[in-house]
Amino acid sequence: MPDAIVAEGLSKTFNGSVKAVDGVSFSVREGEIYGFLGPNGAGKTTTLSLLTAVLGPTAGHAVVDGLDVFRHPHDLKQRIGLVFQEATADQDLTGRENLELAAALFGVPLRETPRRVNELLDRLALADAADRLVKTYSGGMRRRLELAVGIVHSPRVLFLDEPTLGLDPQGRAGFWKIVSELRKDSGMTVFLTTHYLDEADGMCDRIAIIDHGKIVAEGTPTQLKDRVGGDVVTVRPIGLADRLEAALKALPGVTAVTVQGGAFRVKCPSGEALIPKVVEAATGLGISIAGISLQRPSLDEVFLDFTGREYREDEGPTATDRAVFMTRFQNSRRGSR
Amino acid sequence: MSGVRRWAALTRRELLKLGRNPQAIITSLLLPILYLVLFGQGFNFTNLLGSNPFITPAEKAQILQQSFLGAPDYFSYFSAGMVGFVAVTATLFVGANVIFDKLFGSLKRTAASPATATDIFGARLVAGSIQPVGLAFLVLGLAILLGNLGLAGLHISVAVSVLGAAEVVVAILLLSVMFASLFLSLGFTLEQPQTYFAVVNAINLPVLLTSAALYPWGLMPVWLQTIASYNPVTLAVWVIRITFFGDAYYAHPAWVYLGGLFVWAVGMFSVATWLTRRALAPRR
Repeated sequence: MPDAIVAEGLSKTFNGSVKAVDGVSFSVREGEIYGFLGPNGAGKTTTLSLLTAVLGPTAGHAVVDGLDVFRHPHDLKQRIGLVFQEATADQDLTGRENLELAAALFGVPLRETPRRVNELLDRLALADAADRLVKTYSGGMRRRLELAVGIVHSPRVLFLDEPTLGLDPQGRAGFWKIVSELRKDSGMTVFLTTHYLDEADGMCDRIAIIDHGKIVAEGTPTQLKDRVGGDVVTVRPIGLADRLEAALKALPGVTAVTVQGGAFRVKCPSGEALIPKVVEAATGLGISIAGISLQRPSLDEVFLDFTGREYREDEGPTATDRAVFMTRFQNSRRGSR
Repeated sequence: MSGVRRWAALTRRELLKLGRNPQAIITSLLLPILYLVLFGQGFNFTNLLGSNPFITPAEKAQILQQSFLGAPDYFSYFSAGMVGFVAVTATLFVGANVIFDKLFGSLKRTAASPATATDIFGARLVAGSIQPVGLAFLVLGLAILLGNLGLAGLHISVAVSVLGAAEVVVAILLLSVMFASLFLSLGFTLEQPQTYFAVVNAINLPVLLTSAALYPWGLMPVWLQTIASYNPVTLAVWVIRITFFGDAYYAHPAWVYLGGLFVWAVGMFSVATWLTRRALAPRR
């Protein structure tokens, strides 16, 4: 399958010093859902802005749907869909008017526009509110409208920049259900950024973890989770049980044992197979067990493993935010001179 | 064709938004109405000459004609100047709307679409230039109506030809295009509404006070006359006054002033489109 997106050595430095993206290379196959996962300020949105020609690069090269992004930005914009993390629909227009405007801007043939607009309004459950001003829409309706605007021209590649930010779990689930259906029906490639680990895990065919502007890991969710050592069996003994640690480390398949809050966290490829052996070893040593649990590896652990720090959803302003702030600050200083 | 459609769709958006915001239209009307109803009535110093026993009616007429370049009284002179003033104040909001569209995200959406900077700029320019023309005619109508109500009003002293009326429309349009271009370029370049309004205020007042919109020409010092004769507001106002009061007191026919205004409009349009392209280009 050919690649829909290819990025080679993409870099973006703001104001000569803030390195938001640092030599990022990856490729996305046609029809794939590819996730960029990382905390705020990691470089996700900047990478997406580079791939959609919203920003120009400091260095590097990118091809989307066969087009050189930085040589043919105008042609590129006609082929891609883009859903921003913030609301961009015009609040003083109705949902229908917003879609009609987008259809005209993206070159949907005039005759097809009413049909396409109605189809999207129906599909995204906005038909009843189609002729209401967007300022009266709920948060979930606005996100669905943003998606509708992004796909009105049936793009071959859809870019989603943290599209469910601020939505409740039900709204997020509904949004992703629609994206899954659209992708299934049209076969379009989806590139998404998110800092919701569960979204990336559930939605993406492949994930890249980005931190400080660099990709630190890439693979399918399963591959990434396997790379951090498989399952974790947590054993909570009754009373002192120092002898148990050595016994657990000696069990076949165990890759690591750590002590956390009086419990042993045992890493192994298959937790289900290990649990009977753990019970047997404890019994043999005369140690009673208060509880034992099995955890499948999650992306939280993947993130911790690859970045060396715990995942936090709010890590301050992004590199872009910082750069914009610096530009405004410098402009205001120039203006006051 | 797709470029025309994009431009038309963006213009429709601007007009829909304008139509849904009657407060903006009323606010734009309020200022010229106050000037006509209060300032124009209270400041109509033509009356000073009327009560002076040492000036004959013939002398009075001559003084007035020289001071007001052929207009029969100050209010008539001033109300033609208000049309130029309206073109400046009514276009002010087009740039502010750009800044609010930046803050609310809709400009980001448009900039990420295949619409070019020229499409985006052109749609706003057209929508922003239509309103001042409408307002200018409302101001003229009100000024004439005030005269019919027994107050000081606009008295047109020569027969207005079709060509003259067309020249008035073109003058208002060119002035609107010029100022809409200026304010749009500020809107696309600046980030904060506070900065925008501060800059606009710093432009508006000097432009108005160095024009012949309000001052009687004959009372202006020569140095101010020299500055004012290059001011685009003056050029537009002169075209209107020539059409309404004749060209006896002017050095050139109306089309020369229209030509000067055209140069201003084209120059500002060129600079503004360049600035807009720069502002909407992918950031390097």
